[in-house]
Amino acid sequence: MVRAGLQRFLSDRWGEVEVGEVRPASAGARRLNVLFDAVRDGETLELAATVMPTSAIQIVSIDIEASSLRLAEEAGVPVPHVHAVCTDNCYLGGPFFVSSRVPGISVGRQVLRLVGATPGLGARLGRQCGEALARLHAAPTEAAHPDLKRPEETGTVASSLARIYGELESLLQPSPTFTLAYKWLERHRPTDPPRLTLVHGDFRHGNLLVTVSGLEAVLDWEGAHLGDGLEDLAWICQRMWRFRSDELEVGGFANRSDLREGYEVGGGVWKDDAFLWWKVYGSLRWGIGLAKQSMQHLDRSFRSVIMAGSGRRVAEMEYDLLMLVRAGNAG
Amino acid sequence: MQDRPTAWELLDAVAELLEETIMPATEGGVRHQARVAANLCRIVQRELETGVQADRREAELLAAVLGGDAGADREPLGEAHELSQELHRRLLDGDESLEAEAWPALLEIVRAKLAIAKPGYDTYDYSGEDR
Repeated sequence: MVRAGLQRFLSDRWGEVEVGEVRPASAGARRLNVLFDAVRDGETLELAATVMPTSAIQIVSIDIEASSLRLAEEAGVPVPHVHAVCTDNCYLGGPFFVSSRVPGISVGRQVLRLVGATPGLGARLGRQCGEALARLHAAPTEAAHPDLKRPEETGTVASSLARIYGELESLLQPSPTFTLAYKWLERHRPTDPPRLTLVHGDFRHGNLLVTVSGLEAVLDWEGAHLGDGLEDLAWICQRMWRFRSDELEVGGFANRSDLREGYEVGGGVWKDDAFLWWKVYGSLRWGIGLAKQSMQHLDRSFRSVIMAGSGRRVAEMEYDLLMLVRAGNAG
Repeated sequence: MQDRPTAWELLDAVAELLEETIMPATEGGVRHQARVAANLCRIVQRELETGVQADRREAELLAAVLGGDAGADREPLGEAHELSQELHRRLLDGDESLEAEAWPALLEIVRAKLAIAKPGYDTYDYSGEDR
């Protein structure tokens, strides 16, 4: 069914096209990623499609996501090339875009196994991540989609804090640890970046395609927004992406110095205070997210044993937060 | 008194079913859910063993931070919940002097939660990451 829809769409766009077998790549909770070959004028194109099941539940319109992808590509970030965007539900039942297919693996544990088996890959990957982010953060934001999420007039740091505050107050059960971390964030605000940058918003395992040569592509741009680039650098350094390789701060495969080196080589400006701030912010946001997942299970809006279990993972984020804010608190 | 098996023993049976029968017979998303469900059984087993003492200790620690005593005759879970709410409120209102005192108490509370929910998580000490 997906195959017929893709064939009809691509033929409408490109003339006679033959679409081969369609294979699922990864099934996110909301979106479907499929891989397929298409033959046009005797030439085989290796393609992928990202499909939203219905337009009602999409977080970001597919137009905005495709626009961020194109902006990143122009800036020199490795990403799949977007061939076509379709907002008409008549082909696949929801909006989608078709892009080039990039080789590589993205599942965190698999990537760490590959890194373990390939000398030098971890540090190289760390530097490549830094460099890709430096390029992304240098992209001209005037070219960004007008509806791309951006901070309020009050600034990046202030609007991020305001969002967290609202969420703290909505939890079923208060967490004084989250509150302590929130107060730390209030008191340690870094200055806003001199200019807003395009931020990927979810730069971590699962969204990075990796081969023995290193970073091949950065995927999943639905969380892209304008803000402070240090947010991306701090996010990949969250402990939850390390899969027990805790000593390697960057995704369990590289040291912070590798990431920083790549970022600076790529022309990015690293700031220690903003890095730590965004790291605490990311842990707190994720911790609140876990608590909210269990709430969704309990109020029956998303009944699932996994969502229920998330409530018992809150303590992990509380521990990480206490460790991150210990300077000045632990005596 | 309920007849044997005890609550702990029943959870053990369910966890074993999930780990030894359901997981090998399934794959993908269903297998992942079975793994999570088995882990939740193990969490509840540990909670049955030490949960009440942990709640009592939590209430004591919170009461000490807030400058009072935990009521010995009160139900510990309800009390921990109430005191936690109060500490949240006072921290949010900006009682900065409370923060330095709250930190070690919260760490002990969180470690006790992890001993039930994720044993071993607190062995990594984050050295060098807090700057």
